[in-house]
Amino acid sequence: MKITFKIWRQEGANSEGSLKTYDIDGLTEDMSFLEALDHLNERLVLKGEKVVAFDHDCREGICGQCGVFINGRAHGPHDHMTTCQLHMRSFKDGDIIVVEPYRAGAFPVIKDLVVDRTAFDRIIEQGAYITAKTGTAAEANAILIPKEVADSSMDVAACIGCGACVATCKNASAALFTSAKINHLNKLPQGHPEAHKRVLDMTNQMAIENFGSCTFTAACEVECPAGISISSIAEMNARYIKAKLFE
Amino acid sequence: MFYRKNIIAVTGMFLCVFLIVHLSANAILLFPETTARTLYNSYSTTLRESIVIKIVAYLLYLSIIFHVVYAAIVTYKNRRSKKDKYIMNHKHETSSWASQNMGLLGVLILIFIVVHLVNFWARVKLGIGEKVGLDAYGNIDVYEVTYSLFHNIYYVLFYSVLMIPLGFHLHHGLQSAFKTLGFYHKKGLAVLAKISLIYAIIMSIGFAIIPVIVYFK
Repeated sequence: MKITFKIWRQEGANSEGSLKTYDIDGLTEDMSFLEALDHLNERLVLKGEKVVAFDHDCREGICGQCGVFINGRAHGPHDHMTTCQLHMRSFKDGDIIVVEPYRAGAFPVIKDLVVDRTAFDRIIEQGAYITAKTGTAAEANAILIPKEVADSSMDVAACIGCGACVATCKNASAALFTSAKINHLNKLPQGHPEAHKRVLDMTNQMAIENFGSCTFTAACEVECPAGISISSIAEMNARYIKAKLFE
Repeated sequence: MFYRKNIIAVTGMFLCVFLIVHLSANAILLFPETTARTLYNSYSTTLRESIVIKIVAYLLYLSIIFHVVYAAIVTYKNRRSKKDKYIMNHKHETSSWASQNMGLLGVLILIFIVVHLVNFWARVKLGIGEKVGLDAYGNIDVYEVTYSLFHNIYYVLFYSVLMIPLGFHLHHGLQSAFKTLGFYHKKGLAVLAKISLIYAIIMSIGFAIIPVIVYFK
């Protein structure tokens, strides 16, 4: 199959970027999108051109590294999917595919399609952990947690930190990510000791990092590979108000 | 960053409640001419003379000002958080048009409010412009102000058409206000989305239809 890629090329953080067109043949429908980019890069190497830089790691949809904006959607045309799980069968022979890096003030472009997502790490550092000693796996079972609580915690713990929520948000808000990390721990007894501090510190860092405010467009929950609902953001807001009142 | 959104949510909800009262009162205009004139004028006199309503009125002015100012600040900051735009962006596939354009809808509603205040509030309460007469019972004839305004086709169009952005703004705004203030029950949110839709439809159609009916009276 033949595809025309229009890919954002940018030498470095401070250089100007632009879309460059690459006509590429020899792709197959069962290639993943990242394999198609690999295929393109191999051709570029043979021609002596610089390869397209893009982030990737596990290629099985669990690491959250492969964040790019494909044809106007974070992670491509499907809902709840990472780029590595997107296959070329989702496109037609002869299609033009526009590939851009994630756009957000807090995610500056490093090179081509690679953005700096360490702002997420700094939010995590503010409290997405517990200080209680949980002991061994066997001891963890000593704390009884109702099934529905454990399930709802797991629902948000599924966040892989890919940044699609920020990328698709018109405000570049990190509310879905931050809420997932907060609610994951605050729902569980192990997270209770630092519950209020966690909410206040992590949301404060979110503001420092120049992420925007959530206006509930709900675009994030459509793109989230883990299918985390925006009700998680509402829950974070409730926890924030509670923390402000009782801290 | 949370307090700004909370202020927008609280003031927005207050304005939503106000709209219900306002629309209910406007329904008086649908009565036959003489009944409507008497009822409407005595109702507006009661409002003007009530201390409680005076307090509510000041809360209303403050709500509008705070809602607009904080929405402008949040919008400005949000735009700064997303300076670089995508060359191709299929945002309509992931979110509603209204949710992406609350600022634009808000500006249209603000223009409406300014014109609306000039038409009524400025004339009746501030006494600016053409003097308003009294009716047979000695009440200020607000009905006459309304009646003559809505016999101008341009005003009828202005008042009715601008209820479309109001409807879209209310539909997204009402449910979002609850989420901003921390209402996160999933089934409750689904119900809330339906209530917001029904509320927005009633408000926009209700307010839009009254000038048209008065025009044909």
